[in-house]
Amino acid sequence: MPSYELSLMLRVLSKPELVSSLKRSAETIVQQGGVLRQFISIGTKPLPFKIRAHTQWHREGTYFLMKFDAPSSAVEHLNDEFKRDIDLIRTHVVKCEEPVKQECTLEEELKSPAYRKDVQQLVEESRKTVRKQFKQNSPGFDYYPFQK
Amino acid sequence: MALMQKILPCFHISSLYRTTMFPLLTVRHSTNYNASLQQEDDQPAQNLSNPYQKEKRCCVLCKYDVNVDYKNARLLSQFLSPFTGKVYERNITGLCKSKQKIVESEIIKAQNAGYLAIMLKKVEYFKDPKLCDPDRPVRPHRY
Repeated sequence: MPSYELSLMLRVLSKPELVSSLKRSAETIVQQGGVLRQFISIGTKPLPFKIRAHTQWHREGTYFLMKFDAPSSAVEHLNDEFKRDIDLIRTHVVKCEEPVKQECTLEEELKSPAYRKDVQQLVEESRKTVRKQFKQNSPGFDYYPFQK
Repeated sequence: MALMQKILPCFHISSLYRTTMFPLLTVRHSTNYNASLQQEDDQPAQNLSNPYQKEKRCCVLCKYDVNVDYKNARLLSQFLSPFTGKVYERNITGLCKSKQKIVESEIIKAQNAGYLAIMLKKVEYFKDPKLCDPDRPVRPHRY
């Protein structure tokens, strides 16, 4: 099961209401065969832009984060469930992936194009392709038909 | 007398030449002799690295090994234009190709999840230290 990260944006609620709505969304994950790993509360903040959800404009929201493992087929169902929940303004499910370590290639990129490896490869490839060349004896005579 | 005058300077020169040449020759002999006795450490080193090689340049995120996350709106907004809310290009941010790609994708994630504004930069982030200056691009661009 791949691990996912769900960021919830809830409308401003009283504490018992918030708990019940979080429980509801957590239960939907468990019902789909998911395993909850972590709960993180980010807090109540003004939204970066006003959002309309369930016939209401929202300018403030409570952010919450859930980390869970679930089969990949469950994600579609979860999104569908969260869309219908009135307390949720917006949800976003992201797959957790470990960052791949790569060496910085800035030095190579700052070189002038003639010294860059990718450009050199392009030049080599262009030399490989044979361009169509004009044949001088196009009628196919073995003699020159015009006066010299 | 005329003959003597002609011969004498020649004699003098030849005698001088001889006196100077002898010590020179002896010195040369001595150096050759010593070199054969000494070890080979005095020889110039063959496989030296280039002393004029410049230090390898590295982008900011690779240098400090920063994990770019979509929830970190403050970091992401440092790569945004305060006027349009769009991501600066690679010639301005000075990031390597892979990191620039990650930053761009994380910004889109942050906007979709509601952590980051789309058309503007937050006023609280205006006084943050500037990682990139659009007036002084790393590479010249066509605009």
